[in-house]
Amino acid sequence: MTSAARAHALTKIYGAGDTRVTALDSVDVEIAEQQFTAIMGPSGSGKSTLMHCLAGLDAVTSGEVWIGDTELSTLSDKALTRLRRDSVGFVFQAFNLVPTLTAIENITLPMDIAGRKPDPEWLNTVIDTVGLRDRLGHRPSELSGGQQQRVACARALASRPTIVFADEPTGNLDSKSGAEVLGFLRRSVDEFNQTIVMVTHDPNAASYADRVLFLADGRVVDEMFKPTSASVLERMKAFETARI
Amino acid sequence: MFRAALRSLGQHRVRLLLTLLAVVVGVAFVAGTFIFTDSLKQSFDALFNAPQPDVTVSANSAFAPAGQGGGPNASSDQSPTIPESLITPVTAVPGVAHAYGTVTANGALVLGKDGKPVGNPGPPARGVSWLPDASINSISLVSGRAPQGSHEVVLLEATAKLAQVGLGDEVTIETPGGQVKAQVTGLVTRGIGGSDGGTLTVFDLPTAQRQMLGKTDVVTSIAVKADPGVTQQELATRMTSALPKTVKVETGAQRSAEIADRLQTAFGFINTFLLAFALIALFVAILLIFNTFSMLVAQRTRELALLRAVGASRSQVRRSVLIEAALLGVLAAAVGVLGGIAVSQGLRLLLKVFGADLPSAPLVVLPRTIVVSLILGVGVTLISAYVPARRAAQVPPVAAMRDEVALPTKTLRVRGILGAVLIVIALFTGFSAMRHLDDNLRATRFVGLSVVAALIGVIALAPILGRWFIGLVGAPLRRNAVGNLAVENGKRNPRRTAATATALAIGLALMTAIGVLAASTKESVAAVVDDTIGADYIVLGANFQPFRPDVYEAVKSTPGTSTVTFTREMPISVGDAQGVLTGIQPDKFGQVFNLTIESGSMKNLLPGDAIVDSDTAKKLGLTIGQNVPVDYPSGPGVLIVRGTYKPAGPITGWIGSIDTLTQAGARELDSAIYIRVAPGSDPQTVKSSLDKTLSAFPAVKLQDQASLKGQINQQFDRVFGFIYALLALAVIVAFLGIVNTLALSVYERRREVGLLRAVGTSRSQVRRMVVVEAVLIALFGSIVGVALGLIYGVLFRKVLESVGISRLSIPTGQLALFIVLGVVGGILAALWPALTASRLDVLKAISSE
Repeated sequence: MTSAARAHALTKIYGAGDTRVTALDSVDVEIAEQQFTAIMGPSGSGKSTLMHCLAGLDAVTSGEVWIGDTELSTLSDKALTRLRRDSVGFVFQAFNLVPTLTAIENITLPMDIAGRKPDPEWLNTVIDTVGLRDRLGHRPSELSGGQQQRVACARALASRPTIVFADEPTGNLDSKSGAEVLGFLRRSVDEFNQTIVMVTHDPNAASYADRVLFLADGRVVDEMFKPTSASVLERMKAFETARI
Repeated sequence: MFRAALRSLGQHRVRLLLTLLAVVVGVAFVAGTFIFTDSLKQSFDALFNAPQPDVTVSANSAFAPAGQGGGPNASSDQSPTIPESLITPVTAVPGVAHAYGTVTANGALVLGKDGKPVGNPGPPARGVSWLPDASINSISLVSGRAPQGSHEVVLLEATAKLAQVGLGDEVTIETPGGQVKAQVTGLVTRGIGGSDGGTLTVFDLPTAQRQMLGKTDVVTSIAVKADPGVTQQELATRMTSALPKTVKVETGAQRSAEIADRLQTAFGFINTFLLAFALIALFVAILLIFNTFSMLVAQRTRELALLRAVGASRSQVRRSVLIEAALLGVLAAAVGVLGGIAVSQGLRLLLKVFGADLPSAPLVVLPRTIVVSLILGVGVTLISAYVPARRAAQVPPVAAMRDEVALPTKTLRVRGILGAVLIVIALFTGFSAMRHLDDNLRATRFVGLSVVAALIGVIALAPILGRWFIGLVGAPLRRNAVGNLAVENGKRNPRRTAATATALAIGLALMTAIGVLAASTKESVAAVVDDTIGADYIVLGANFQPFRPDVYEAVKSTPGTSTVTFTREMPISVGDAQGVLTGIQPDKFGQVFNLTIESGSMKNLLPGDAIVDSDTAKKLGLTIGQNVPVDYPSGPGVLIVRGTYKPAGPITGWIGSIDTLTQAGARELDSAIYIRVAPGSDPQTVKSSLDKTLSAFPAVKLQDQASLKGQINQQFDRVFGFIYALLALAVIVAFLGIVNTLALSVYERRREVGLLRAVGTSRSQVRRMVVVEAVLIALFGSIVGVALGLIYGVLFRKVLESVGISRLSIPTGQLALFIVLGVVGGILAALWPALTASRLDVLKAISSE
């Protein structure tokens, strides 16, 4: 099995002197292709930082990060931008969509920026999968929170990226909408062989993943395959007690 | 709440800086205007402290004394004289210590090393006589001694500097009585303290009489020194009863008051004129401040909601915003007053560039200036912050808890209706103006009303228009993702876009209207020259001053000329109306000048006969054959109306034969010589012969139609250039507005920019997005401005048709340039915000609130 993304001895330090914080402490991870990976951990564990570094949104202090065959730490801002545009998809917790663009314009945004035509067949498939065909002409303000997140997911998939990063994609949603979004992410792995990395602190969300990485204090402390909400919750509880 | 307001000011330092700058520019302009005119006034106050005659006796005529004229009739400015023999009865009046005849007249041109007159054309070149008694002489020697005899002169220090001569050097003076070569024996200053821009040459009395007046038995006034203990008023009363009614007796105090009065009027005008431009800049600033505060409030919605949630009342929230505005206003006004000092110097420099040389003056900052600046600065800021403050107070406390908060925005319907009503009013008043073209004042008022209605109407409609405009113009950009985003951003907040664009539109509208008027004026003048002047060449005074009659003799004998004729001018008054009587040679004038006779005839103009332009005839109710009593500078007379002509260009008013003028006592000075080239002669050869002939007469200039037009245009260009320079300030404020709006928009949308960057938008694409938005806003403002300016330029031109702007000319190239300038300005204004946007840290932007 090849990896879609990997990090070696990844260290991220914020600040200096008294305010120095080691967010990631020599982390080694490998994200398998065509898998749904969840990254979990308590607040401040470094899970978001790990995702940002893996996605090329944040510069690393030391270590190596690869997406596919590309090593990120030496790339210029321009090359990183192109990489994000062409090889990475994003779903954020909130403020995922450009408010002035319609749903369909948001979905095709990365390709429009690149000046590329989307593959119409694939686009149709994605739109049907997220079930938004009748809302395509609507602006984000006319969509519900769940619909907005589904548009964001569609955007992340539309350009067939090497990897999709989702940062707490269900954090702002009610449980029904959250389940819809997670179900969609799951299907995109199962049916379209998409690689997805999701940061979450919700054990239920993590149960949709194939594999869960547990982070604490900037290190990967554990991993779990074929998780269930119960097993993840159990594991998280162990963290809490360990911390106390 | 006060502390909260203060904190908030500190926190939004950068954002407020531009707002501050806008208020500062406006206030500085106002303060600068006051400082400038106050300083000028102060410098003229020195005039009243200078020594002057206790009593002055001069000709009792309706005409201004020499050199006080100016304007179009400056050339006919002739000095009324009185017999020198009057000194005997004056001296005989009890209480008179001494009486001196004095001469003050225009037309003593000091020639530089190159043989050309020095100094600016415009201000008077005076030749005066030396007054031997220093205690009543307003001119005082700085070095050297008084002039004696016909080969000595004293020059004003500034004049000597211009001519590059010093004590003992020889200088040539061109006077109505011929050229004088004289030695400079002294340098003087005037009470005015420096120069009024004109030159001053002092002769001894006989020389001044001969050279400046052409007669040795007349003077322009008699200066009287009173015996000690005799008041000016007593002496003047005695003198009035002792002297004939043909003379006027004035005390020193009266003359001072008169001058003060005249200066007051002049400065009042300059002040009003400059303040009008300052207020335009401030008005533009209001739009800008309004925008800034709206955005500040929008950004701080959560903060304000939190204040409300912890118990602040609506009025407290409102007050906190207003306190913030007031603090900003005070700060801006204070900086503005300081800026005003710079502006006042700038105005001085500007006036100098455009030809007006002003006396050096101390800097006068009156308390009134500071008070007015403070009131304006704070007032303007408070007014423009009031609506945003009210909106801030409406933030519901619960907004603090929500993630995304949008303030309730009103629909544009109210603005739409208001705007439509105002545009209808503008149209109606505009048409009314066109229906009352015969009544100039009324038509002007209607157009003025129409301008105001249209301006406010456009400001009201701008959000709707702007959305529509940006949608339309932006349509081709939408094919590109970046272009699409920019267009959407431009349409996103129509009020803000509109306020920014209209600020620019106001400045450009005024510039366009002025541009249309300027082009039309120039073209009308050119048309008049083409239509009326049949001569091939014209000789005019270098400064449109009258010149010696021997020029005519020299020109006439130049080979290759056929018809050569001259004109003279003298001021006359008919009833209360001042006018000019132009003397012509009736047999020749028709060959060089096309006058359209409307009634009667100009043939056989005998002495005492005159024709008059039909406007004057109508105004005075004159009929053919009527005997009209008139006043000449020398006394009363009668003119018989023989005909009327269509007013045309350089000649207006009364026209009679040269003999009429001579009989009325006009001086033998010509105002123009018209020349026709003899058939078969080469005009170029004739021109060079004429040039050779005229090289002996530095006070005149040979013109053909083209150079005449050029010279007249140059004078208009100066005036219009000055107005453009003043309007440029308003346009600069408007560009500051674009910078401000974009900077704040970028700040507001930084999450969005972060998102765009995260999904792969490059930095240059983000920059382009901001720049395109700016260009769309600037283009909207420029086109609306130029369109408005064009409409009202055309309308005003129509109203001014009756005063001589007969042709309409639209300077298309210039208007296109304005739009290009608007767009380039928009791009420049966008540079900094675009750079800021492209440099946003992606992670911070998407994770920040």
